[in-house]
Amino acid sequence: MLHTRPRGRLRARLIAAAASAALTLTAIAGAAQAQSREETLRVVTGGQVNTLDAGMQGITRDGFGLNWNIYDRLVSWDRKKFGDGYIYDFDKMKGELAESFTISDDGLTVTFKLRPDATFHDGSPVTAEDVKWSLDRAVSLKGPGAQMATGSLKSPDQFKIIDARTIQVTLDKPDRLAVPNLAVVFPVILNSKLARQHATAEDPWATEWLKENQASGGAYKVSSFKAGQQVVLDRFDDWKSGPLPYFKRIIVQTVPEASTRASLIERGDADLSIDLQSSDVLALKDRGAVKVVSIPQVNAFQMIAFNTRMAPFDNVKVRQAVAHALPFDDMFTAALYRRGAPLWGASWKDLPDNGKFPQRLPYATNLDKAKGLLAEAGFPNGFKTTFSFNVGSAATSEPIAALIKESLGKIGIDVTVEKVPDAQMGTLISEKKLPFFTESAIAWLPSADYFFRVFFQGETRWNYGSFVNEELAELTTKARYERDPAAYEAAAKRMVKIAADEVPVVMLWQPALDAVMARNIDGFTYWFHRQTDYRSLTRTK
Amino acid sequence: MRSIAYRSARRLAAALPVLLGVLVFTFVLMRLLPGDPAVFFASGPNSGEAEIQAMREKLGLDRSLPEQLILYLGDVATGDLGTSMTTGRPVLDDLAERLPASLELTVVALILALATALPLGILAALMPGSVLDHMVRVVCTAGVAMPTFVSGLLLIFIFYYLLGWAPDPTGRIDVFLVAPPSVTGFLLIDSLLAGDMEVFRAALGQLMLPAITMALFVLAPLARMTRASMLAALGGDFVRTARSLGLPGWKVVNVYALRNAILPVLTTTGIMFSTMLGANVLVEKVFSWPGVGSYTLDALLASDYAPVQGFVLLMAGIFVVVNLVVDLAYGIADPRVVIE
Repeated sequence: MLHTRPRGRLRARLIAAAASAALTLTAIAGAAQAQSREETLRVVTGGQVNTLDAGMQGITRDGFGLNWNIYDRLVSWDRKKFGDGYIYDFDKMKGELAESFTISDDGLTVTFKLRPDATFHDGSPVTAEDVKWSLDRAVSLKGPGAQMATGSLKSPDQFKIIDARTIQVTLDKPDRLAVPNLAVVFPVILNSKLARQHATAEDPWATEWLKENQASGGAYKVSSFKAGQQVVLDRFDDWKSGPLPYFKRIIVQTVPEASTRASLIERGDADLSIDLQSSDVLALKDRGAVKVVSIPQVNAFQMIAFNTRMAPFDNVKVRQAVAHALPFDDMFTAALYRRGAPLWGASWKDLPDNGKFPQRLPYATNLDKAKGLLAEAGFPNGFKTTFSFNVGSAATSEPIAALIKESLGKIGIDVTVEKVPDAQMGTLISEKKLPFFTESAIAWLPSADYFFRVFFQGETRWNYGSFVNEELAELTTKARYERDPAAYEAAAKRMVKIAADEVPVVMLWQPALDAVMARNIDGFTYWFHRQTDYRSLTRTK
Repeated sequence: MRSIAYRSARRLAAALPVLLGVLVFTFVLMRLLPGDPAVFFASGPNSGEAEIQAMREKLGLDRSLPEQLILYLGDVATGDLGTSMTTGRPVLDDLAERLPASLELTVVALILALATALPLGILAALMPGSVLDHMVRVVCTAGVAMPTFVSGLLLIFIFYYLLGWAPDPTGRIDVFLVAPPSVTGFLLIDSLLAGDMEVFRAALGQLMLPAITMALFVLAPLARMTRASMLAALGGDFVRTARSLGLPGWKVVNVYALRNAILPVLTTTGIMFSTMLGANVLVEKVFSWPGVGSYTLDALLASDYAPVQGFVLLMAGIFVVVNLVVDLAYGIADPRVVIE
């Protein structure tokens, strides 16, 4: 026995190794044959994928995009038609890995029924145990945990396995963002058996291993991953959470030079890119060689922020004066070639017509009014200040800064423009050291109370105006658990009104997302993470 | 031969303090630069002070500077250059994977540059003041005056976009081809080893435009240096003697003059090689070349300390080795030269 066991094990290992080698070889050969250009989508991007695990701190936007395609979540959103493409419908949720879900009458319990036939890439069935482990992971990891908490999902105790196909989520309060938070990129459902094999005592959630490996069951699986260079995805033919995607293979390549990306698409060598320069997009559109799907980024915004804790911007009149002196229209033209939705120039006075946010606020360029407000604030001769933007956004921010400098000069405000390296910009904003700057941001969950909670209060980097307002804080806290739509709408309108009156930031616009693609590509969908969902794309003959 | 090996080893050992100095200097410099990596990397939606602090601890930035330095030096001594936050992988792996791409580009570019610069320089020296001499001067000036990203984009525009001769300027190989198993990391060599001529041709095709861009950049110093030292050598007594003895012209130029003129060219070539390896950044960006330069630039923009420190160390190491090789080549060109 003592002799045979090790030997037997060795032989078994050899056979296993040979078998896996043979399998790999056939897989490679098969992949090579299946690699017809027709069913392959070649995507070029300026960004790069740096990890396969959305739980990793410092993950890039392209990383989120990849995660979206290789993992499934319990639920997702429906989409609606917009122009030549689609836009995700935040008001309409649907099951993804969950066949169905029900919310109890008191709003405190959500029950998810899993699809009976869904499997992971390795063929093992998706069970409630996997779901529990995955959700436990999402609330336990630092970065994802902060996001999940915005939907009152904080502790593993909240997730209960009912049976192999049923899982229940319990909440302290009926949080309107609990279910939406289960559809963002963090609470992906992982193959828990596989992931756990690579967990250690210091790393119970297998974060090290999952960075470069996948334990997933999504529509696509990663067949090769070179951080910062290229990712190749192959379709998972047994995918059950939706209709089988059209493309069998997706190649996502990092091409840093924007003009090269444009040439690649125009010459037909690449199929899709979503991050070209506005000028290139317009030129390509004019030449008619490509299809441009332009969709407003409904959950994003560009704004000008004031440091409300620093003189002179701690004076609301000064902020209002500057807001009235901004050359909105010129900035929109110079920075974006007017590709987007303006957020200035509303006509309402007392309360907005609806409680959506971001929406147009009642500001427009009016230098006389600005001068008056400035005098009322005690600065009839203006003042000196510094306006900052990050170097990475220079293409849009540079013209904004130049126009602001010129326009504010007319009311006596002397603006020095400062370009800040991206890494430093984050630090300066977090430490609330910049007096006056521009940034753009997105909120994954475009719900008014969420916007105000994230961007208009608290001590995080995202409270760009460093704004403190007790009424707003009360309103957002209450609205979050408000189950009566009318009461919620009323609260939201009031929040918008406060933002308009107090102007901790001036909302400028929502830029459009321009997806440039070969003429025969169809089905592009705009998602909250501003990345491409390959599952919905097709190539028409 | 043994003494050369011994002397080389001594030279490399003598370089260790220099490398240590470079290491410490970069380490301190990175931390003096503005920008807090903890904030940068903990910038996910809803990340607040707690997340930033956790990231700071994870990166070891909560410790004192001397403590960080000692830990880092200890890691480096064991061959661990730290982990890149941008790619999420060990810096050593990243550099090892990307260095061959940069080296391949640089070596091919240098060969192209030498193959053009030496004949041009020699011809210009043989006929100083002639039309040819002026033309060489014009070509060199144009090459050195044009920033590499401009000439790179121009080449792409002409040869890829307009004419369609060049393959699409992305990376080292056509995306639809399967790369040969990596042996040396040099795609040209690996594809030959695998006997895959299709990949070899594709890789060579991809390499041409970026290599020409780089070659244009270093053409001028090489050609000018060749011309100057050839002029000096051609005016020397030994050339006059050789000519008066009736030796054939090609022999006088190539054996007597060139051999004497080659030393400064060798020095320049060595310097050019190291410079190119570092200055590749823009070319790598323009051609999506997965080299060490573009990798480090991304890291630098993200305040990602470990890759930048690793890169500087690598470059310093390469500089030491290249200098040594140049000195050895001196010995071959002129047996009187001995490295010490």
